[in-house]
Amino acid sequence: MVIAHTVCALLSYVAFLVAFLSGALFLVQERQVKRKRMGWLFRRLPALGTLDRLNLLAIGAGFGLLSLGMAFGLWGSRMLLGSRWPWDPKVLLTAVLWVAYLTLWMIRIRSTLRGRKIALLSILGFSLVLFTFLGVNRWLPTWHAYL
Amino acid sequence: MRILLVGVNHRSCPIEVRERLAFRTEQLPEAYAALRRDAGLAESLILSTCNRVEIYAGVPRLDGTHERLSAFLSAHGGFQDAELRSHLYACADPQSVEHLFAVASGLDSMVLGETEILHQVKHAYEQARSHGTAGKALNVLFQKALNAAKTVQTKTVLGRGCVSVGTVALEFAQKIFGDLRPHTVALLGAGKIGEVTLKRLSARGVSNIRVLNRSPERAQRLASSYGGTAYGLGALEAQLLEADILITSASAPGYLLTRAQAAAAMPQRRHRPLCLIDLGVPRNIEPAAGTLENVYLFDIDDLQGLVAHHASLRQQAVQDSQVIIQQKVRHFLAWWDAEGAACGSGSSSALAAAP
Repeated sequence: MVIAHTVCALLSYVAFLVAFLSGALFLVQERQVKRKRMGWLFRRLPALGTLDRLNLLAIGAGFGLLSLGMAFGLWGSRMLLGSRWPWDPKVLLTAVLWVAYLTLWMIRIRSTLRGRKIALLSILGFSLVLFTFLGVNRWLPTWHAYL
Repeated sequence: MRILLVGVNHRSCPIEVRERLAFRTEQLPEAYAALRRDAGLAESLILSTCNRVEIYAGVPRLDGTHERLSAFLSAHGGFQDAELRSHLYACADPQSVEHLFAVASGLDSMVLGETEILHQVKHAYEQARSHGTAGKALNVLFQKALNAAKTVQTKTVLGRGCVSVGTVALEFAQKIFGDLRPHTVALLGAGKIGEVTLKRLSARGVSNIRVLNRSPERAQRLASSYGGTAYGLGALEAQLLEADILITSASAPGYLLTRAQAAAAMPQRRHRPLCLIDLGVPRNIEPAAGTLENVYLFDIDDLQGLVAHHASLRQQAVQDSQVIIQQKVRHFLAWWDAEGAACGSGSSSALAAAP
């Protein structure tokens, strides 16, 4: 249970990292295209369409894995601690993260926004991931301290 | 052992001569047999492409081989021997080696640096091997030539496209969309350059093509030659919602597409990227449209500037390629001389040179 919880959570972070990287590369490549530069970066970086699809896929997968990880976590805490909702800062932040990526995913799927803005939001989202993953352990009291 | 070359290319003779000399695959077994039987060649290789027909041969001594190969080619093409002589070039190592390395690298091609020739050389080599006519000399020679060509391809920008406005536009479209096949392209206007660009995209597999024109007949004619659909100019707004790539090359006094029109179309397009290629002079698309998000606008100056930039890069690349080839030729010749010395027969000293 704990293992499934941890594995899903970590994999979701990996997916969000992929979304972050594809978003960052999108911004770089988009800049090349907009400025009509056909240099080293232009030739080597993938097409914008490819990066956009990868980004969408990574956000979707990350969101799914995060949901699964949270479900395992809640189930586990109920079994181990008997409490329904463990009021831990990390859990709270993860809930925020879940809402954030759900929103981002929905925005992209419904094409409310596309391209540069989605790439920027993927980068912003990942900074939240980093804070949830690393920051909480350092600055806030948590049960999830293992780093 | 000497390496001899006899052949014609797009510079030495017109297409009428080349097409008679060309070897079809099914003719190769008979041709290789004849080279072995009539010309007495232990090692031979026929390189036949649309721009050249060349025979490479490994012979113990040169005496008379050139004449025998020339007679063989004349017979194959149905020429009088004297008639073909003026078109033929012939040389022996080291010139034949240098020539092959340059050919494989695309330096001798009609379109400088094209890479198709590398595959053709490779294919010809495989054919010769399968017919058992590539011995030690030609095996090493062709492997080294293919290796030199690959080095030129990876280490220089010789083979990079961007030779025309159309190819630059195509490169950008590919970097925006990735695979172009599922995308829709619309051509607005009747300019020649627009049609050439459409042709490039169509050659790259774009099949969903729309042609918009003031004159419905012309639109229809163009559309049917690319398997597309014809529309009047009034369909622009509607097409703006469907097309991924819009090429304009119309002669019109004002903008045919304004920033406001493009801005209005984007939310309806659900912000799908839109690539605008404006080849008109004066311009057909308001330049400010390019500042919109997910809109990528290229005008004729952007594209021509890049073509010129790449032309200068290619000039440099030719020099770089020549340096690479010279180095690879020297390596091969060093090995070749050592082999010759070991076998006790001399090499080098050219026969004739007129490539």
